[in-house]
Amino acid sequence: MKKFVLAPALAALAVAAASLASFCSAHAQTATYTLDPTHTFVTWEALHFGTSTSRGRFDKKEGKVEIDRAAKTGKVDITIDMASITTGVAPFDNHLKGKDFFDVTTHPTARFQASGFSFDGTKVSAVQGTLTMLGKTQPVELQASRFNCYDNPFFKREVCGGDFEVTIQRSQWGSTSGLPAIPDSIRLLVQVEAIKQ
Amino acid sequence: MKMPFSLPFSLPFVLFGLLWSSLAQAQPLQYVLDPERSWVQFEVLHFNTSTIRGRIGPVNGSVLLDAAAGSGDVRLAVRTATVSTGLGFFDARLRQDDLLASEAFPEAYFVATRFTFIQGRVATLRGEFTWRGVSQPLQLTALRYACRLDDSTALPAEVCGGDFEGEVLRSEYGASFGLPLVGNRVRLLVQVEGRRPIPAPRVKTP
Repeated sequence: MKKFVLAPALAALAVAAASLASFCSAHAQTATYTLDPTHTFVTWEALHFGTSTSRGRFDKKEGKVEIDRAAKTGKVDITIDMASITTGVAPFDNHLKGKDFFDVTTHPTARFQASGFSFDGTKVSAVQGTLTMLGKTQPVELQASRFNCYDNPFFKREVCGGDFEVTIQRSQWGSTSGLPAIPDSIRLLVQVEAIKQ
Repeated sequence: MKMPFSLPFSLPFVLFGLLWSSLAQAQPLQYVLDPERSWVQFEVLHFNTSTIRGRIGPVNGSVLLDAAAGSGDVRLAVRTATVSTGLGFFDARLRQDDLLASEAFPEAYFVATRFTFIQGRVATLRGEFTWRGVSQPLQLTALRYACRLDDSTALPAEVCGGDFEGEVLRSEYGASFGLPLVGNRVRLLVQVEGRRPIPAPRVKTP
């Protein structure tokens, strides 16, 4: 007989445990992720005289990301060291760092801050925020071309990331040097991965 | 009486003219690659999540194109040790024997002899890509292609170039380290611009 008494008690306990778990998870969904700098890069593309695409990369950056996949919200704050620009051609890098373009001594960093997250199911599909560059802040929306979370075997933690892109008009940040031979439209390709804390 | 005279004189002239113009059109034009605008960028998927990118170059080589004949001969080479991903330790890892094998095989090269042109513009190049000592067929497809006159220097030149795209499966070249966590498909994006000096100086109006 004791078995039959125990069964409902166990069931009640299971229900209680489950509701406790869901209570906890509902309040523990906001996860904080720290950028994995080895898998986070901004590559830009600019059409050269309508002929071929010049590319460059910013190598130094830091930041963090918060994502709540249940509530479909998030926050991101990334700072980019503008002097870390590299194209493979040193004179070109120096010209880009100079007054005609990024003027890195006056404006050493650019910053992307966002709190508008769009989701497609549990995957981030777009991030709306602002890009501060050359002392000006303008709205930008990054579109995800892919997004995924996985258990990273090296960190033994969850890693979320993806590929994002946006085409900006550099003149909105006051960068007008070389127009129109050097185009206004600049495509930004952002690889990002972040490790759950 | 004019006709008999004009015929023998004009016919050779016309024939010569036709021959000359066809020779001129069939002349392959040689372009010298601009090292500041000739680079390979590769893309490979990391844990099916984000795209790893790296740069290799500049691209060296020779380019002969004959748009009228629809033919060409392109030989491109890159030193794989020039790889740049933004991470020094990752670049060093990529150069090792199980990936780029930069010491044993310093160069990867592409020899293309089969071309298609669309309205005078290079559309595809087919040939053989050799990497790690392994040769496989490869096609590069133009995403864009254009020519322009550059008269900004004392030596005016026709500049032709574009963006080309190709794909290799790295396992086919024996570079299988990290599979399948790091993808097998490697997308190659090739930026290229070549210059051809124009012999006759252009007369500039003041």
